[in-house]
Amino acid sequence: MLVLGLFGFALLIGSQALAPLALGEGQKVVIDFGLAGSMMLATLLAVFLGSSLLHKELERRTIYSILAKPIWREEFLLGKFLGLWFTTAALLLAMAGILALVVTVGYGETPWAIFGAVGLSAVELGIVTAVVVLFSSFTTPALTAFFGISAVVVGHFAEDLRYFASHGAPVVVRWITESVYWALPHLSVFNARGLAVHGTAVEPERMLFATTYGGLYIIGLMVLAAAVFRRREFR
Amino acid sequence: MARIDRDLLTGLLLASLFFWGAARSELLERRKLTAIREEELLYYPSGYAVRGAAMGYETAAADLAWLRGIQYYGEHRLTDQKYDLIGHVMDIVTELDPSFVQPYVFGAFVMAQEMKETERGLDLLERGMRANPTNWRLAFEVGFLHYVCRHDYVSASRYFTWASRMPDHEPYVERFAAFASQRAGNTGMAILLWKQVLATGNEYMQEVAKRELQRLGVR
Repeated sequence: MLVLGLFGFALLIGSQALAPLALGEGQKVVIDFGLAGSMMLATLLAVFLGSSLLHKELERRTIYSILAKPIWREEFLLGKFLGLWFTTAALLLAMAGILALVVTVGYGETPWAIFGAVGLSAVELGIVTAVVVLFSSFTTPALTAFFGISAVVVGHFAEDLRYFASHGAPVVVRWITESVYWALPHLSVFNARGLAVHGTAVEPERMLFATTYGGLYIIGLMVLAAAVFRRREFR
Repeated sequence: MARIDRDLLTGLLLASLFFWGAARSELLERRKLTAIREEELLYYPSGYAVRGAAMGYETAAADLAWLRGIQYYGEHRLTDQKYDLIGHVMDIVTELDPSFVQPYVFGAFVMAQEMKETERGLDLLERGMRANPTNWRLAFEVGFLHYVCRHDYVSASRYFTWASRMPDHEPYVERFAAFASQRAGNTGMAILLWKQVLATGNEYMQEVAKRELQRLGVR
């Protein structure tokens, strides 16, 4: 609630301050900054809340009493993932709702297109959460946060990585880069914010493709996380 | 409670000191700071380079550059009326967000009208047309610059007609498309065009329109 309140307050102040400076483009600027701010905030929350997700259970030793019950470790991990994903996605959706309200009141036009973009961002958030859960299943909170942030950064550079390697790099390097390129999450697939700010809705085909890709990627990461977590010994 | 109050007071005092210092340095060093901000604009990398570093937030980065560009224009309008870097800034904005139409229009307007560099303005608009081939506004502005700045009435007519065939155009576009060929070189047509800028342009463009209308003898 505090995060939502602060976000709404910052949006209101920002929209009032930026509108006269933007020479008639206040609405676009407010939607842009609102979408960017909400996604950054939700991503940071997913990374930093998720990094201590399992560590806290281990530290407080609550994991022993949970795993002593007739549940599988995979179920426990899946519960952690879904809990964190739904929390951050709900927060993202609520921030988008506040943004739509501020724009509707301020400019008399409801930016419906942002909800498609936010839907795709929620899938991206699912991938980030799955990466965080994967690393938190075997490493420390600090390293988990580091790998989580790295996944976000590298996920946006996947295309560039492939492009640079394709220009004059030795065959072995090119082959390795190509493998890394396909293994990395292609987060640009989920970025429809550029369309939404200009009032263009996300096409159903793109939505379907991105959701399928995101879903499969999340399943892959969770299978890997479950395999690691199953083998982990708690002392 | 007393301790919280003491901490709060210390915090407020430190914040006040910080803001007082910042305001004082802004007042005392304003000229130097303006020069530094200007130099900073020179070192802005191209929009394509920023696009990679923006990590999916290109349009928000474009907005930041747009706000900086307007600030730059506003500062120079009040002082030396030289806008040498406006083209560079608008290039960055449009490379980051090619669908953002206003920077093409505003940048071209400043270059053609204030800097008397019509060709550069037309180049920017034509780049905008390539990125947004169905946007009537850009075609209309190209026609406007051809008519008002280059006095090339044939090209102006062609672009107005082009704009009038694009989707969602305003009704006045068809009027101009009809008038441009009939009234080639007619001052009345130029007055109508400037009146249109006065009615639809942003505040800076409206000021230029007022000045031009006065020059053409319209009160």
